[in-house]
Amino acid sequence: MSAPAEAARIALSAAPRRWWPASRQGGRDPGAPSWLTLMVFLAPALVLYAGLTAYPVIRTFADSLYDLENMDAPRFIGLAHFVQIWSDETFLRAIRNTLVWSFIAPFLDVATGLLLALCLYAGVPFARFLRIAWFTPVLLSYVVVSILWLWIYNYDWGALNLALRAVGLDGWTRAWLGESNTALAALMVTHAWKWAGFNMVVCLAALHALPSEVLEAAELDHCGWAAKLRHIIIPLMRPTLLNLYILAFIGKMKVFDLVWIMTQGGPMWSTETVSTYVYKRAFAWNTFDLGYPSAIAVVWFIIVLAAAALLHLAFRQREKLEY
Amino acid sequence: MQAQRWGDRLSALLRRGPLLAVLVLYTLYTTLPFLWVGAMSLRTTAEISADHYGLPSPAHWGKFRAAWVDSNFAGYFWNSTVVVVSAVAIVTILGAMAAHALARYKFPGNRLLYFILFSSIIFPPQIVLLSLFQILVNYNLYNTRAGLILVYVSLQLPLTVFILEAFFARIPQDLFEAARIDGYTDFQIFLRIVVPVGMPAIVTTVILNFVHLWNEYLFAVVLVSDEDLRTLPVGIQRFMGDYFQDIGMIATGVMIAVIPVIVVYTFFSEKLIQGMTAGAVK
Repeated sequence: MSAPAEAARIALSAAPRRWWPASRQGGRDPGAPSWLTLMVFLAPALVLYAGLTAYPVIRTFADSLYDLENMDAPRFIGLAHFVQIWSDETFLRAIRNTLVWSFIAPFLDVATGLLLALCLYAGVPFARFLRIAWFTPVLLSYVVVSILWLWIYNYDWGALNLALRAVGLDGWTRAWLGESNTALAALMVTHAWKWAGFNMVVCLAALHALPSEVLEAAELDHCGWAAKLRHIIIPLMRPTLLNLYILAFIGKMKVFDLVWIMTQGGPMWSTETVSTYVYKRAFAWNTFDLGYPSAIAVVWFIIVLAAAALLHLAFRQREKLEY
Repeated sequence: MQAQRWGDRLSALLRRGPLLAVLVLYTLYTTLPFLWVGAMSLRTTAEISADHYGLPSPAHWGKFRAAWVDSNFAGYFWNSTVVVVSAVAIVTILGAMAAHALARYKFPGNRLLYFILFSSIIFPPQIVLLSLFQILVNYNLYNTRAGLILVYVSLQLPLTVFILEAFFARIPQDLFEAARIDGYTDFQIFLRIVVPVGMPAIVTTVILNFVHLWNEYLFAVVLVSDEDLRTLPVGIQRFMGDYFQDIGMIATGVMIAVIPVIVVYTFFSEKLIQGMTAGAVK
């Protein structure tokens, strides 16, 4: 069943059939290929990357300095867009929402994932089935997830309000996506619903990779579950948990589909994220100026890269202090 | 004896009560929404309005036919298939070749190239979205399948190269030296050793790219506006926009998008889980 072993065997067994004198090789260092070989392997990917990633990034930077209301006659306006950004209330709101979401929500995702993984790790019946079932939302598109949760949050007949009424908490029912103080939290919960399974699988793999001697030693010392979790499991899993936090963080900084379909940034900008605001300024409001959203994209690009670098550094620093 | 065993079991069960409660509740939390939509997909909107949580009896299977034919879900499905299969095929070939070059050959700038590709994994999509729109318009690729395919390839290329490079770099050097002594050219080495040995990693990236692109929405909605070229996620979202009240039909559309994923998942669940978490699990 092991595909790599089988492939290696096939590759090796095929080798003797083609035998050429070693002199044909001219003693070439396998590590130093000809320029041509290298180009054949790399050029297609590099050309595509240059044309559809590198060039667009540069072009967005350039666009941010222009007024592009008329795409055929761009008007250079220098840093005017960037000045305008600082007094754009909606943009500042969007940045704040996205940062709150990116920094706080990953705790929910990773904690849920860890909790679920611990449940399965404790050896419960049907663990294999449960792992597969819990992972399912990860595979669904945001469009599908958004529609499901739009209905769950529906005021009149949504499952959430229905459940609250069923247990007598009628006072708690509300239009979850329609009120500005609950809408962002509602989106966070939906996002966590989709991604908890992902974190669970990764945590479970890390749990199974923990050295069993350490856990057994703790068992002998009558170490309770909570203590074992706090003093042994979490410290040992720190690299995995931090990695998951960063992944979740980056994912949330990019989030668009979920917000766009569920709330379109409303009500009253309470769920506006940078992605949805850029989209609105570029394509949805009929402003027809791609320059201003480009400037937002540039600012956001710098913030995302800086935040990712900062998290990376901060976590690495702690690693170092730890040991 | 018997009673004692049952007593033990009961106490074990009680001790694990909270644990089992978490398991049951979370399983309901992930699966009930599906069952709910599944039930609604077989009921008419009138039936749903009367009772949102009723069972689908009688089951209106004809709704799937109606969505498929009359609401053009067949078209959306076909568009998604063409775009995603082409993009995944191209990104796999280009990515594998580039990953091989980066993993195997020493050349100046190797690590720099790798770092540039790697760091673009975290780029927010907006930094390329607006200019890709302009570029595709300039080159008459806006509103075409070819344009969307090319963009999809470029979106998934960094992650593909990242995963494949890590795997290819672990293939033992002896294999290459043996092959070289046997007179394999660089291209034969790639095709006959790297590709077969690296197949598990290649399958992983194919799955990952397939799921990501099948679900992709932002670029599909910006770069394609023609109704006949819409992919499934955009098709469903637009359908919902047009027929907001027709919950029954929306549920049917959602199920059309979900069922293929679930079918594939039931057969290849481990492979899919492994593929989706590639890069996160060390």
